[in-house]
Amino acid sequence: MRFLRHLAAVVLTVAIIVALGMLWAHASGGTGTGGGTGTGGGLKAAPSREVLQRLEQVKTGAIKIQSDDGFQANTGNLVRTCEIEAVLAAVVITVGSIRRRNRRMRRSAGVRA
Amino acid sequence: MTGPPVTVSRRRIMARTRLDFWLDALLLVAYTLAYSLGFTGIAVHEWLGIGLGVVLLVHLTLHWDWVIRTTRKLLLPGGRERFIWLVNLLLLVSMTLCIASGILISEVALPELGITLRASSFWRNVHDTTATVTLILVPIHAALRWRWIVGMARRFASWRPGRSR
Repeated sequence: MRFLRHLAAVVLTVAIIVALGMLWAHASGGTGTGGGTGTGGGLKAAPSREVLQRLEQVKTGAIKIQSDDGFQANTGNLVRTCEIEAVLAAVVITVGSIRRRNRRMRRSAGVRA
Repeated sequence: MTGPPVTVSRRRIMARTRLDFWLDALLLVAYTLAYSLGFTGIAVHEWLGIGLGVVLLVHLTLHWDWVIRTTRKLLLPGGRERFIWLVNLLLLVSMTLCIASGILISEVALPELGITLRASSFWRNVHDTTATVTLILVPIHAALRWRWIVGMARRFASWRPGRSR
């Protein structure tokens, strides 16, 4: 029961964020087709410039629609993501350790005084 | 003082802690994979993103008590919890917008379900920006709880079935 109550609160929070995003899109006029020309009611819109660019990237192999098998895909991409995460985490851990050590030293200096 | 009620309660706490730990690990791995579009390909990227959204809802629900408790204490002095709260709020907003915009610009997953939405450059930009912001915030979010993660990993490494710790 408690879990369901919390889940409802979470879903509501997420819905508010999404609604605010929609409002932002609406306010900036960004809900349209980003360059597409089709505006007729029953007509299909022409693909936007972004979609065409993406299709070109798919054709040239820059973006894969399906991995051949998980392990032969672009591992360099995954390694780069891991590196960024590791560096950022290391910075936060180092700063946290230094701050904790300084706090401890200050506290022990206060006790001695 | 180690009667049955205490053991049951400790076991329940341990089970919950274990669930938290493995769910967090799953989220971290899933996000890392989902961000690496070149590694997964677009189909896996999209389905992984949708799955990530569901697991994220569970993660938030399990920690909702912390959200309420820390939000109430925001006005009290003490900077660390406030900083963690701010990072978590930014992460919630960026990850929610990242997943929502990802669904709105879906090229494989949604069409497979028979849903086709009109492509929007706005949502594509939002998706790219929030994915980058999330990539910065995820390791910060994990690193701020580094001592808990190390403590739990050590505990699990020395855990033997049938032995209550």
